[in-house]
Amino acid sequence: MRLRKALNDRLSTWKMAGGVRQTAADIIERGGRNAMVVIGFIMILTIVSIAILIPVLPIADPTQIETGQEVLPPSSDHWFGTDELGRDVFSRVLWGARISLTVATVAVLVSMSIGIVLGLTAGYFGGKVDYVITGAIDLFWTFPPFLLALAFAAALGAGLTNVILAISISYWAGFARLMRGQALSMRERQFVEASRALGARHWRLMFMHVLPNCIAPLIVWASIGVADAIVIESSLSFLGVGTKPPTPSWGWMLYSGKDYISEAPWISTFPGVVMVLTILGFNLLGDGLRDVLDPRMKGQRR
Amino acid sequence: MADLASYVIRKMLLAIPIILLATLIVFLMLYLTPGDPITSLTPPHASVSELDEIRDKYGLNDPLYVQYGRFLWLIVHGDLGTSIGATTRNLDVSGLIVQKLPLTLELMGIGLAMSYSIGIPLGIFSALRHNSLGDRSVMVFTLLAYAMPSFWLGILLMMLFAVELEWLPIEGTTGGFGSIILPAMTLGIGNAALTTRMMRSSMLEVIRQDYITQLRSRGLPEREIIYKHALKNAILPVITVIGLDIGWFIGGSVVVETVFSWPGIGMLITSAISNSDFPVVQGCILVLAFFVIAGNLLADILYAYVDPRVRLG
Repeated sequence: MRLRKALNDRLSTWKMAGGVRQTAADIIERGGRNAMVVIGFIMILTIVSIAILIPVLPIADPTQIETGQEVLPPSSDHWFGTDELGRDVFSRVLWGARISLTVATVAVLVSMSIGIVLGLTAGYFGGKVDYVITGAIDLFWTFPPFLLALAFAAALGAGLTNVILAISISYWAGFARLMRGQALSMRERQFVEASRALGARHWRLMFMHVLPNCIAPLIVWASIGVADAIVIESSLSFLGVGTKPPTPSWGWMLYSGKDYISEAPWISTFPGVVMVLTILGFNLLGDGLRDVLDPRMKGQRR
Repeated sequence: MADLASYVIRKMLLAIPIILLATLIVFLMLYLTPGDPITSLTPPHASVSELDEIRDKYGLNDPLYVQYGRFLWLIVHGDLGTSIGATTRNLDVSGLIVQKLPLTLELMGIGLAMSYSIGIPLGIFSALRHNSLGDRSVMVFTLLAYAMPSFWLGILLMMLFAVELEWLPIEGTTGGFGSIILPAMTLGIGNAALTTRMMRSSMLEVIRQDYITQLRSRGLPEREIIYKHALKNAILPVITVIGLDIGWFIGGSVVVETVFSWPGIGMLITSAISNSDFPVVQGCILVLAFFVIAGNLLADILYAYVDPRVRLG
């Protein structure tokens, strides 16, 4: 919580230089030399490719209930064993990745869009608009996203769309705060002023000049946001307000596996391990990118 | 101190809109639920007179702002509604919460103590051996502990200490003090990772300052420099955010209590959700939100107390 707050403060005051193309080149060049970024990226790439390819991979149906096959230990037939209903845990873990990543990515994209529009408007126009939007941001920023998401999910009921909605409404404030801070300093920059002097309209200045130059801090926050969203989604599913069974979800698998931890630890162990590795991957990428892209660190780490 | 008092009053006034937003969200939750709001507030198969009573109490036919006003009025008078769950039917929500709250507070208190008693020494250790193998291992620990959702950590601890080693009871409150250790540890470790990182970076910053170099040049023993002079300054930013930790712990306690069947507010919410006991869900969320706000206020006040520059800003 408080680390996130400190990180957000820091990201919103980054003074990026050099424009979009240079930032992109920077991310690739310097990111490639940072161990955290590389390890995180490889972990994410692996899990994302599996999640995308899963429908065409030759693995068992994750919802297929096999009577007589219940609670089998890992074997060559069922690599991660089977659960209390005889479903293949390996297949459920991998399908769970697809569900978790979809929820997390969509939720982060939605909250990022809300955050960018509101934060950019507030920071760019300033004045009364800024006053009102900042008020709303501060109100949402006070509460831990998990608690907000729990409230919304409890009201909306379980289900994939509702979880995405609940996380999006709870997570936008961080993006908005970051974007506002960036826009505030960016609108004073000379290239924006030059463009304004040439007669560019507000929306053009906002979305073609200010926004693209804030891409680096947004990427860092988004990467960490995906990790947070996975934690929130799986926690909600664990509490029974996330995705609905029989949808394979890590949180729900751990909840139902909890009752079998003494006789069949594999039911909860495998989803847990894969979940942590995925979260770790996004955290590593985010933390690593923050380190290499931080303008104040520039030159120190070469 | 006069400026501190006025700062505290200012911060308290600023908390009012936040409290209002929390009540507004909790109020609107009723309208986010699918279907007619009356069905969320009354037990299934309620009689017509029961329906009328509830409709009257909350004025469900009035315009929204009137309803919200009435909702606020009831909250101010400590009336959080009546439970409609199968086992707690017709009980006062506020009564239920008052009954469960001490258990949650106990869990949070011990969790907080654990997280600080792990995080602070580990952070100091790490900072004093900057970039050594020990420092790196501590950093790997914090990364892992941070990536670990609390329910998974709880299950792992349960597997190790309750199932394998059989040292501690698996869940519930029947094991005396032993039964609080695992849930408090689960809650504490995630936060210990944050505390470690903060303590480390704060300590690193302090020991690079001139006054420490000056003390070294005067030939003071390293122990004395660290524990008598550096620690005092380094620990302040770590301690002052204890209020923000409350928000983290409140969210975490919902999950951790469910893992260990610890019958506090968190369990109350989870079981209320699965029983569609909406008034209890609303009441609990409101109370949790209130704790978050109070925690934030505490953090602001502590910060201003320690750093006089803040009060004037």
